Amino acid sequence: MAGVVVKAHFPRRRIVQIVAANVFRYLFRGAARNWLRNIGSTAPALSSMTLLLLLSGVVGLVGFALHNLEQAQAAQASLLHVYMRDGVPSTDVDVLWDRLSKDPRVASITYTTKAEALARAQRIPGLPQLAAASEGNPFPASLDVRVKTIDDAAAIDSLVRTDIAVDPLDPTSYDRGAYQRIQAVLFGLAVAGSVFLMLLGFVAVTVTMNSIRAAIHSRRDEVTIMQLVGAPRWMVRGPFVVEGAITGALSGAAAGLITFGLAMAGMANGPASFTQFAPGITVTVAAIAAAIVFATGLGLGSGSSMISVRRHLES
Amino acid sequence: MRPILELTAVTRAYGPRLALDDVSLALEPGELTFLVGPSGAGKTTLLKLINREIRPTAGEIWVDGIPAHSLKASRVSQLRRHVGVVFQDFKLLPRLTAEENVALALQVGDLRISDDEASERAMDALEAVGLGDRGASFPHQLSGGQQQRVAVARAVVSQPRLLIADEPTGNLDLETSWQMMDLFADIATFGTAVLIATHNVEIVTRLQRRVMTLVQGRLVRDQPAGRTGRMAWLASS
Repeated sequence: MAGVVVKAHFPRRRIVQIVAANVFRYLFRGAARNWLRNIGSTAPALSSMTLLLLLSGVVGLVGFALHNLEQAQAAQASLLHVYMRDGVPSTDVDVLWDRLSKDPRVASITYTTKAEALARAQRIPGLPQLAAASEGNPFPASLDVRVKTIDDAAAIDSLVRTDIAVDPLDPTSYDRGAYQRIQAVLFGLAVAGSVFLMLLGFVAVTVTMNSIRAAIHSRRDEVTIMQLVGAPRWMVRGPFVVEGAITGALSGAAAGLITFGLAMAGMANGPASFTQFAPGITVTVAAIAAAIVFATGLGLGSGSSMISVRRHLES
Repeated sequence: MRPILELTAVTRAYGPRLALDDVSLALEPGELTFLVGPSGAGKTTLLKLINREIRPTAGEIWVDGIPAHSLKASRVSQLRRHVGVVFQDFKLLPRLTAEENVALALQVGDLRISDDEASERAMDALEAVGLGDRGASFPHQLSGGQQQRVAVARAVVSQPRLLIADEPTGNLDLETSWQMMDLFADIATFGTAVLIATHNVEIVTRLQRRVMTLVQGRLVRDQPAGRTGRMAWLASS
């Protein structure tokens, strides 16, 4: 009788499961166990990184708010309110409108009546009290001229200020240099914030690197034995990188949650003033900031431990 | 038969000092060889070169067809899976049981080995070294001789083609040392080339195996099995 060759089914799925279980054990479970065992020496890195990431998160949110503020100021600066003289005939206003509309530097013109000006003022903090203290409506009608670039605002101001329709005492809203001053202040804040964040990053990386270095030294014998029995490089180095990632992730999670909580508390306690002083900070933005803080923690923890392992763990 | 281990004109210098000087040798499968010599003769350096813990300054080292002399750091682990190593100080992981220490060597070399298989093979290896009933013991619960047996079980569990031992009886009493030597002889019987660096003259002379003598980094004598005479290096130690 002819023999039959029976080919056994190659249990690839089973092998993949075994490999995955072994990788998980040697890389992640071992790292988590060592991390817990070394919690005493990791605690300083964990707490300092949490603090640094929290500060980074807050600085980031403040920076975002300042950026929005700058954008709002830029939009504001390109809008020139040309205040009309009380009792000006509509024909004079029309003549001025025509002049401006023909000017290539002007993007758009709208007319705001005294009533609309009052309504607008009542939305600005402090001005409703001023309106209430005055007899009648103290706010003038205006032509609201949006210039194509902020640099054209000065020329348009010069053009309209002597017009017969314009209030000679308070002709326009143009404030020479105001926007530039704001820009200079914001630029200074941005530079200071960036330097601060870089310093924080440096400190965070250094602290984590030192904690991983301490972990490597405390487990030097274990590392040597692993190397001598033929453990591949990733199996020896990997757990230290994972330990750094755990430190970074936990710090990032804690700092992210606090950052999110602070933003939420600000929004809940004074919604009107929060929106005014921190424009653009919404629940979504706070959640994104928290996620970025978490990811930064994870990246800093993994990256710094990777550097430390490369420096202090010979092959 | 192709040698399992082949060294050709190997030199290793530490600064101006030559730890090994132009050493050439070869080990065949199943051969049990002693490496003797006074302290500082270069025995440990030679074993470290074979296991690629250090690189030679010059010369070639081939271990089971792998060029240890030019091996990249990232590929050293591949070489070490072909070489079992036994140390004088055992080098067992204190947090693992005897069985786990042995199983570890299996699984780090081949991630496809399941826990059950690793455990089974580790217990077989422990059984072979006479410690079948101590698999659950931690190293600190074992005597020096038992720890050394665990180390031997770990070294041979993945069935390496070459086993090197650096003063394996250095921390053991004479009776336990003899038991260890019997174990190494048994391992060699199954085709593994065994190279043992030792100071123990009594063992070397009584076993009548091949003996290579290193003095001041030079291989001064290579006596074949059965012709082990007076240990020349004793005069200089």
